[in-house]
Amino acid sequence: MNRNYIFLTILMLFLAVGTIFLHKTEKLKQIEPDKLLWEIIQPTRYVSTDHVAKMIIQQDPSLEIIDVRSEKEFNNFSLPKAINIPVDSLLSETSLENFGIPGTKIVFISNDDIKADQAWVIAKRLGFDGMYVMRGGLNCWMNTIIQPVEPPEYAPLTEFATYEFRKGAKLYFTGAKTENTETKKVKVMVKRRKKTKAASGGC
Amino acid sequence: MHEHELNPWRTLIALSVFAVLIVIGFFTLQKPTMKYDLNMKESLTVLNDNDACFYPWQLEKVINKKANNIVLFDIRDKFTYGQGHIPNSENISAFDLTNKENIKRLDNLKKQNITVVLYGEDQLQANGPWMLFRQAGFKNVKVLLGGYKYYSEHKENLAATKSDESYKKGTPRFDYAKIASQSNTGIEQTSSTAKKKVVVRRKKKTKAASGGC
Repeated sequence: MNRNYIFLTILMLFLAVGTIFLHKTEKLKQIEPDKLLWEIIQPTRYVSTDHVAKMIIQQDPSLEIIDVRSEKEFNNFSLPKAINIPVDSLLSETSLENFGIPGTKIVFISNDDIKADQAWVIAKRLGFDGMYVMRGGLNCWMNTIIQPVEPPEYAPLTEFATYEFRKGAKLYFTGAKTENTETKKVKVMVKRRKKTKAASGGC
Repeated sequence: MHEHELNPWRTLIALSVFAVLIVIGFFTLQKPTMKYDLNMKESLTVLNDNDACFYPWQLEKVINKKANNIVLFDIRDKFTYGQGHIPNSENISAFDLTNKENIKRLDNLKKQNITVVLYGEDQLQANGPWMLFRQAGFKNVKVLLGGYKYYSEHKENLAATKSDESYKKGTPRFDYAKIASQSNTGIEQTSSTAKKKVVVRRKKKTKAASGGC
């Protein structure tokens, strides 16, 4: 046996033992601070109350509302189908299961938007995507959807369109609650165009 | 016998070259500009730290240049900054915050024990950057409650805002459950009409052209 081979074997064994003492990786994966700051300064995460209302009414199956207020406040009132995860318990394993599901859009809501935004930053640090913050929070929700104000006469036409929508949405959220929204699933009917028969006649 | 066994030094040479490469790699590793100082749990508790906030009435000291240890950073874009800003503030738009020079500057300010106050149009705009800098260990960074909007509405009498609560976020302004059920009254329409159904009707294709070209 050559001396070199023995030397190499010992070296390899030594390195292999060394890997056992390697620093254990952290449980939660995190993104780099620079990347997080870059994500934070993008204003694309904010959605309006109108947008959220539209998604609820259309029963968007990808929508997942997360209410970050306290449990007491949540039990008093929340949006339909919202899940309650108070900011303090955001890092528990059961709440983390709600994040990172491909194809879902998570919308954070709170009384105002600060707490919701903070929850967004914390979750973003863990590297989750597809998360949004409802601008203005529930206070704004009450002001716009539940108690819409008619725009003045000189307002542009689009404002009247939003007002019309809000009036309809108000009915949905205050009156149509008896309807069972949980069991209903959105069905997408795809009607295929019938193939035309081969051209008859002609050249 | 293999050919390389004729020269026992070869193994040693190969090994040392390998070692040198690894050492070079370590030295040329790019140092990240920032590192997390707080872990996830600590980042959550820092949110409830009232000392991390800057109150509107505290602004008077800065405006009158009575405080040497406070720097105001306006993180809105240059155009909005030009239209109006808090006196003695400096404009570093949110997109420039990521610059290495600015982060170095923050680091220097931290070493000099100078408080940095971030503000945007509202508190929300500065909330994210403030959280990040706190998590990255900049304990000197604070966020202005109410933002520029609240300041511009109350700039004549900032001292009076001490007793004002309206800029503090996070409290419900209504009794939600009450309003949501109350507003039901007075509407005669039935609820079912509120739902919109979208029926997509596709145009039927006409049958193949009969006869002639």
